[in-house]
Amino acid sequence: MGLEEFRDDMTTCCRCSACKFVPLETLKGYDHVNICPSISRFDYRAFSGGGRLGIGVALLDKQLDYSSPKLREIIYNCQMCGACDVSCKYAMDMEVLEPMNAIRSEMVKHGNAPPALDKMITSLKNGGPMLLEGNAGQGEWASKLGVKDYTKQSVQVIYHAGCRTRHDKTRWAVAQQTVKLMQKANIDVGIAMDEPCCGGRAYQMGYQTEAADKARSNMESINKLGAKTLVTGCAECYFAFKVLYDKFGVKGDFEVLHTSEFFNRLVQQGKLKPTKKVNLTVTYHDPCHLGRQGEPYIHWKGQRVPGQLIIFDPPKEFRRGTKGVYEPPRELLQSIPGLKLVEMDRHKEFAWCCGSGGGVIETNPEYALWTATERINEAASTKAEAVVTGCPGCESLFETAIRKNNKNLKVYDIVEILAMATL
Amino acid sequence: MTLNKEQYTAFEDIVGPEYISSDPAILFSYSWRSGLYAPPQDFSPLFEAIILPHTNEEIQAIVKLSNKFKLQFKASSTGWGPYNDATAPGCVKLDLRRMNRIIEINVKNMYAVVEPGVIGTQLQAECMKLGLNCNQNGAGTNCSASPIVGHCGFGHLSQSGSYGERNQLALEWITPEGELVCFGSLGSTGAWFCGDGPGPSLRGAVRGNVVPMGGLGVFTKAATKLYHWPGPTSVELEGVSPSYVPTSIDNHFLIRIYSFPDMEMMDQAQRKIGEAEIAYELMGFNKGMAASNIATSNEEMLKLHAEFSNLLTDFCLMVIIGGYSARDFEYKTKVLNQIAIDTQGKSLTKISDDPEVAAGCMWRWLRPTASIREVFRATGCFAGEVGGTDVFRLMADYIVETAKVKQKMINDKLIFDDGAPPFTQSIEHGHYGHGELLIRYIPNPSNWAGMMDFMAKANEIAIKQHFGVPGHVFSDMQHDIYGPHVMNYHKWLRKIKKSFDPNGASEGSHHITVKE
Ligand SMILES: Cc1cc2nc3c(=O)[nH]c(=O)nc-3n(C[C@H](O)[C@H](O)[C@@H](O)COP(=O)(O)OP(=O)(O)OC[C@H]3O[C@@H](n4cnc5c(N)ncnc54)[C@H](O)[C@@H]3O)c2cc1C
Ligand code: SF4
Ligand code: SF4
Repeated sequence: MGLEEFRDDMTTCCRCSACKFVPLETLKGYDHVNICPSISRFDYRAFSGGGRLGIGVALLDKQLDYSSPKLREIIYNCQMCGACDVSCKYAMDMEVLEPMNAIRSEMVKHGNAPPALDKMITSLKNGGPMLLEGNAGQGEWASKLGVKDYTKQSVQVIYHAGCRTRHDKTRWAVAQQTVKLMQKANIDVGIAMDEPCCGGRAYQMGYQTEAADKARSNMESINKLGAKTLVTGCAECYFAFKVLYDKFGVKGDFEVLHTSEFFNRLVQQGKLKPTKKVNLTVTYHDPCHLGRQGEPYIHWKGQRVPGQLIIFDPPKEFRRGTKGVYEPPRELLQSIPGLKLVEMDRHKEFAWCCGSGGGVIETNPEYALWTATERINEAASTKAEAVVTGCPGCESLFETAIRKNNKNLKVYDIVEILAMATL
Repeated sequence: MTLNKEQYTAFEDIVGPEYISSDPAILFSYSWRSGLYAPPQDFSPLFEAIILPHTNEEIQAIVKLSNKFKLQFKASSTGWGPYNDATAPGCVKLDLRRMNRIIEINVKNMYAVVEPGVIGTQLQAECMKLGLNCNQNGAGTNCSASPIVGHCGFGHLSQSGSYGERNQLALEWITPEGELVCFGSLGSTGAWFCGDGPGPSLRGAVRGNVVPMGGLGVFTKAATKLYHWPGPTSVELEGVSPSYVPTSIDNHFLIRIYSFPDMEMMDQAQRKIGEAEIAYELMGFNKGMAASNIATSNEEMLKLHAEFSNLLTDFCLMVIIGGYSARDFEYKTKVLNQIAIDTQGKSLTKISDDPEVAAGCMWRWLRPTASIREVFRATGCFAGEVGGTDVFRLMADYIVETAKVKQKMINDKLIFDDGAPPFTQSIEHGHYGHGELLIRYIPNPSNWAGMMDFMAKANEIAIKQHFGVPGHVFSDMQHDIYGPHVMNYHKWLRKIKKSFDPNGASEGSHHITVKE
């Protein structure tokens, strides 16, 4: 059914503009009212969540045609960050991000996705990473760690580093510290020298079939291993294993945890003890796919009850971003001696996106950087010395934005902070 | 028609290529129909181009070009209601979202100056930092903060924060022919404190009953009155969307929903509360509104609605009291309790006994953010804006009468069945009020035909029973219905339109046009 499946959602849009703003109860001043990077940068209504739904209806009504270059520009200049979805669902019972995903899928089917993305998908299909550049070797990062290879030996915990970490030498330290921390806590951890890409980003880019194929093949091999937990430090991989694979009906028989959740548990259980002082004031950036989009998938199959009220049979529980991973990273940071955590205006479910998602970093790096710069300025306004987050995508773009804007901020992965206090 | 190359290039030269588009993908996103009075058609007529100006000079140039090219233009701020739309080919849209600065908050003289792209939330949040507050459109704080842009500007805060017509001070206006006019004190002294002089005052002429809905040029800056705010400089929240609980509204606030045995008692309570000047907010709030505002989904709303149906009559008031000191709060609370006893008002325990629900409601109605839940979540479409604005009781009676017609639509299964309770809001602690109905429907041809029939009957009731001119009266057709009963005001309105807009360039189909 594709996009048609979402006609009712799209035609429920009342044009209220809430999707352009943070949930309005939360605003504390003039600044930081905006939540959608896309309309904030490009200004035309088409670039907002609501505008995209209007376009979706026009596509279904055949008033617009999938081949339009402008359509491609609109549809792909969006990080698929899901902030519009949260702000809309503060009030409404309708899907916003799902139809936007469906529009992208149609764009792919009609051959009008940006060529840069096609290149990455080809790499994915060939068993490679979803990256335009950077190929620093597979398991090289772990060569000196003495860590098991889960494809060869059984392990309790799989550590999935993710393409953006494995293929970027500047991110290796985070992966290495992750393993060292696990080793310190006597976790039976393994990695794969030949780690497969999760394929999650393909979904956001509109390549749903490719993402689903990857999910199936990954789960076929991972399920066989009998591990109890899969831990990842990449928000996009987390979303793929935890949410997307579940949506595709290939949920594994193991728990999926982000490094911040996993290590927070270990600290709470006393298995890791951050004792060294880290005298830093930091602010935490919620990655979109760990925060609002990281909430568990809710399976529902049913239909709208005919009549003058939008209700469903069986009742439909909407994913509103309420149950994302917000507290574990904050709890973990608060357990670090000497460290002070300050919040940005836009945080948790209404965090401003780092800018890299949805293929934007590959298709429009200038816009990605603009989005990151906005976030860096927001972080700087808290007087924090560093931004801490939990996704290599956010981290590398923030670093570029800081460098280009001559800011003094530092960027840390949450694991690096824990390592400073613990290793 | 589409813009020819010469026309497009001329507009493009004004704003630059980034800020004009006539690409169908852009145009369709603007013509997706509003949920307010949504017709069965998905799209309104396409604009010829969308233009995003940034300065007065750009707007003046666009307006002059539109006149020259015999095109029409229509400005919008947040662009919510259907009155933002084109009604026929030949119209360009001026989307003013880039004009979004708060120019000034004048604490001493208690006013703020805003551009149309500033939304109510932003201005309120800045004012609160300074111990001040501004009125908010009842539609929600997602609307423009400008007092002349949206609609009348009645809302939750109108008891203490009045409404657009009275809040509007000096104004900067670009006429339909492109002239820049400064109203009131701005015209003579360059200051924003007064809407009526020294200097030219055209407030009544350009504002009319309900603002000109894009039909009389472009308002680029406006000063709005500010009011005292008895609460904290910012409100801290706990929880995650959609359920926030404020933790820092201090204990000088109290919220109640009272249910009265009949209209007479509710009317008395409204007057007594007004006379005592104790309420920060006072608003008719029926069971449908309460259930929709509190619930975070339609499923939950249905449950709450059933619960409230046993507890609330059709005659309810929502009251918020804010004390400027402990003694002030104590005094106001005592007075309120006494009035409730005297008028047999029964407090809804869901609110009075549950501090979390109370705090949540209080903040959602001090910063009105749940109107979208209230009017749009049920069906995506709303058409209850039939109310008038006059003496509270007169308006309450009008709404009771129109509610009977609404009940017929419910019986015919044309709209969502919420029991058709009316509501009337109180304004400025006085006898003034504004009544409305909550009508929610799925837009298909038969429901829409029912809606049109309802509107015709609401008009007939207003005219035959002398309830005055309601707020929903815009367009030639409506003014021509009402005008002959109200001193032929429509002829004067048309003359105003013609004097300022001889070419009919400012798209006036939701205001009035220059037709004879
Ligand atoms: C659910 C709902 C509830 C509502 N409840 C209330 C209520 O309680 N009280 C009330 O007063 N109104 C109410 N309204 C009406 C509401 O005020 C308008 O629908 C809303 O559009 C206002 O938004 P805005 O101020 O951003 O103006 P817009 O929607 O942008 O514009 C409103 C009108 O003004 C014109 N306009 C906008 N900006 C300019 C400008 N700068 N210069 C010239 N013309 C301009 C537009 O062409 C349009 O005709 C309600 C509407 C809805 C949808
Ligand atoms: S998508 Fe949701 S929030 Fe955005 S305009 Fe539509 S209804 Fe409003
Ligand atoms: S997903 Fe993010 S960038 Fe895209 S429209 Fe929604 S809020 Fe904007």
